Amino acid sequence: MGLKVELAQIRPKLGDVKYNLEKHQEIISSSSADCIIFPELSLTGYILRDLVYEVYNESEKAIEKLSEENKCIVAGLVKEIRPGILRNTAAIIINHQINYIYKFYLPTYGLFEERRYFQPGDPKRDLKIFEYKGVKFGVIICEDAWHYEPIEALALLGADSIFIPAASPMRRLSTRLGIQDNWEALLKAHSIINGIWTIFVNNVGSQEEEFFWGGSMVVSPNGEVINRAKLFEEDIIITEINLDEVRKNRFFSSFREHNRDFHDVLRSL
Amino acid sequence: MPEYVRKKLTLDFGQVTDYIVRRIREYIEESKKEGGIIGLSGGIDSSVTTILLSRATNNFYILLMPTSSTPQKDIEDAMKIIKIVNGENKYSYINIDEIINEFSSIVNTSDKIVIGNIKARVRMTLLYAFAQKMNYLVIGTGDKSEIMLGYFTKYGDGGVDVLPIGDLYKTQVRMLGNYLGVPEEIVKKPPSPALWEGQTAEGEIGLDYETIDSILYLKFEEMREPEEIAEMTKTSYDKVIKIINMVKTSQHKRLPPEIFRLSGRAINSDWRYPRQWG
Repeated sequence: MGLKVELAQIRPKLGDVKYNLEKHQEIISSSSADCIIFPELSLTGYILRDLVYEVYNESEKAIEKLSEENKCIVAGLVKEIRPGILRNTAAIIINHQINYIYKFYLPTYGLFEERRYFQPGDPKRDLKIFEYKGVKFGVIICEDAWHYEPIEALALLGADSIFIPAASPMRRLSTRLGIQDNWEALLKAHSIINGIWTIFVNNVGSQEEEFFWGGSMVVSPNGEVINRAKLFEEDIIITEINLDEVRKNRFFSSFREHNRDFHDVLRSL
Repeated sequence: MPEYVRKKLTLDFGQVTDYIVRRIREYIEESKKEGGIIGLSGGIDSSVTTILLSRATNNFYILLMPTSSTPQKDIEDAMKIIKIVNGENKYSYINIDEIINEFSSIVNTSDKIVIGNIKARVRMTLLYAFAQKMNYLVIGTGDKSEIMLGYFTKYGDGGVDVLPIGDLYKTQVRMLGNYLGVPEEIVKKPPSPALWEGQTAEGEIGLDYETIDSILYLKFEEMREPEEIAEMTKTSYDKVIKIINMVKTSQHKRLPPEIFRLSGRAINSDWRYPRQWG
């Protein structure tokens, strides 16, 4: 018996929280899964620019609305954590209880301007593990998966599964889609090294010049992509994740070994 | 073109087509317009873009706007494309010589560059007039090579609502043209704005597009040094520098006009709302 997770690969309307909330509610109310995961900033859209100041408040209220649902839900919003201080946030709703996690690494290259708008999360305070139907999971947002530490820390704190809401824009479409290959490689590595399920849920559709490519996927602790959503279109996929795969991977890997001295080196860099 | 660059520029054109067609369709929808209008010259860029537009929507309209400097062959080629997209009832043929003569006499000039740019801007004006009448968008045909070089007329062929193939180099547009079944003679025709008789892009710039694209790609995407690029493309260092300088000196053509800042929150510099605002 495992946890049924639903990857809701949606196309949010930029800045239209009302429309996005309705879309969330519709998906949640017709879902047979235990846990429904939406992409990064799913309630607001990603490329908000200065529009962020007009929608953060509404997106926080939308989360309260979603908490009326009796499920496990992960949805993206902009949260004002102190007056005028905004964070790129994922809300984790479990049995009406709302928890928040924040993005640690805010990208500033290429199109990304997150530092202009958001304050990063603080690893010392903001790393959290959740549990639903016996499965312990952590949530990190998009760019955080491009670094080792956030997922490593969560796995060592006890997570058996990592949910990754993302807004990954189309890049390097040549004979294959380069950015898709990159994500796949990253997720496989995280899964294998930590013996965890990694679940990537991407946005889809256009926002400004950018186009989010979808392609959400579930990677097993063994490093296999066991389910994938469509490219370039809205899609919903349900996958059952279990702890047996976690166990099997960890029996035959050295995840149990952790040499803290490496972190001392990293700390002193 | 060095094999290395050709490989890098060769895409999965099936997927590229799906992507661009989808985005044209969505862009028209999001702009709350009913279709798209396009100026078709019979060159590779406008031929490819017309085919893509016709796949995105049935609501497309084509303007042919020749002048006396337009080669007859271009008009014939444009008609072939109209046939390919079943656009026989969806185009207008407007000879703009008279309008141009009127403009030129008011400005009192016979300078071919001034008149050439007037031609491009008259076409833009006509496209927008038709677009507004029909509630359509103006679909631009510029490619990445032209946009980077600044090889377009500001508020002429540069005055459009959207640039579907603006991230494809000329060489890639040709490959896409082949994929889409554009007649070979159009694919192989030397690109020309035809703003005056005998004008070709490659003649004016002094390099063929395969080389230009290689230089643009190696410099601006791989950030290689000019010396290395000259060696890789078997081109003189001076020519490489010339291309790089064309990109630099035309930057103003790719940006909205500068607004001199006075307030605490000036448009553009400190005012970054997305297009889809409100």
